[in-house]
Amino acid sequence: MRDLPTGSTLLALARDVLLGDLMPLLPEEARLDARLVANSMAIAEREAEAADGLRKAIARELEKLYRWTGEGEEPENLLRCFARDLRVDRFKGSEPQERKAREILWQLTISKLRQANPRFLAANGFR
Amino acid sequence: MAGTASPRSDPQRERRAALARFLTAASGAETVEISGLVPLRGGAIQENWAVDACFSGGSLAGDQALVLRTAAPTGVPASLDPLQEFAVLKAAFAAGVTVPEPLFASGDPAIFGKPFFIMRRIDGIAAAHRITRDAALEPALPAIAERLGRELARIHRIRPPRSDLAFLPAYEEVGPTLQIAGFRAYLDHHPTPRPVLEWGIRWLETHTPSPSDPVLCHHDFRTGNYMLDGTTLTGILDWEFAGWGDPHEDIGWFCCKGWRFARLDREAGGISGRAPFYRGYESEAGRAIDPSRVFFWELLASVRWAIIALQQSDRYMIAGERNLDLALTGRRATECELEILMLLDPAGVPPDA
Repeated sequence: MRDLPTGSTLLALARDVLLGDLMPLLPEEARLDARLVANSMAIAEREAEAADGLRKAIARELEKLYRWTGEGEEPENLLRCFARDLRVDRFKGSEPQERKAREILWQLTISKLRQANPRFLAANGFR
Repeated sequence: MAGTASPRSDPQRERRAALARFLTAASGAETVEISGLVPLRGGAIQENWAVDACFSGGSLAGDQALVLRTAAPTGVPASLDPLQEFAVLKAAFAAGVTVPEPLFASGDPAIFGKPFFIMRRIDGIAAAHRITRDAALEPALPAIAERLGRELARIHRIRPPRSDLAFLPAYEEVGPTLQIAGFRAYLDHHPTPRPVLEWGIRWLETHTPSPSDPVLCHHDFRTGNYMLDGTTLTGILDWEFAGWGDPHEDIGWFCCKGWRFARLDREAGGISGRAPFYRGYESEAGRAIDPSRVFFWELLASVRWAIIALQQSDRYMIAGERNLDLALTGRRATECELEILMLLDPAGVPPDA
């Protein structure tokens, strides 16, 4: 059990103080680094909020994919197994598997960018 | 006594003195006085120092604004060392490419602690976000893109064999097949699986174009690596990745989304549509650009950018280089992965995304 405010709330507040209160006091040559610090805090905040939801969601989809092939891989190995299979076009022979594999690639990428760089997603026309 | 070290034990002073002696001998001057030696920001793989020096006599008589370029504490394995980069820069300068004039080089560690070269310092800005955002530059950007196309075609006139560039690996050793093998070898040792990269690399493997006659490729020809003084191009920078390659390789790199900065919609380096850039290139090169080859190399560019981004964060994660910018760069690999999906599976965008 953790105390409140949560870690992600503290990060959001700290970032706000950095950008709103401290940034104007910093010399010009230090501001780029300060912006990088703020950016890092924003990523950490979003990732803390998402916790391991992304990992679990992708693992569920991979389990569905591999259940079709009867592989029964361990969940933590599934992503590595998925990457290895894509290297050798493992899903090429089955249209449903190939479609599912592509869906997972999109889901994985969009979910990661929602945490790491939502502005880049928006600039590419994603919500 | 603390705080009163003699001038003779001041490493900075000794380095300045050693550099002044080197410049004196290299330029044939009677004396050289260095009034400024300041590290320049930027250059993740190489270190750049602004050198202000006054030459008495010799080939550079008078006040000179110079840059000393040397390797950063940890670099990317594929990059040229400073002496090799100096040789490439000399070849480009001789071919009429707009570059800072290369002047002298030395591998003697007694001078600056490591090999380095000296070039003229050029005026202007290279900051890609400023160039792609600056409203005042807008009207000139198509002409700048056309000029960059011509510059690139001039670089591509340099072809093997060249005894002065004999250290560059043969094209057969650096072509797409070998690059693909290199990407996979890297991913095999990376702690996190990258399924999108694996999928994109597989596409590259099964769509590799036939070999072309190799040319000198800059291999990092992009917005951020050229300098503009107002609307005037003053120099193409950062030649540490140069090598023999397919000319479409540089075109794909310049146009890939990872290098469009604030303007993803402007496909030529974030500064214009492709037409002016292609026009400049084709008019100078005297041959047409093949769009299907550009597509291949543009996809490879996104894969390569992703791998470089991961390697940059390795410099923090593995080599311990304390640099927040490098640590954050690893996150950009996922941006490249989105582009790989958008290029190869444009119909697959999830309906709710």
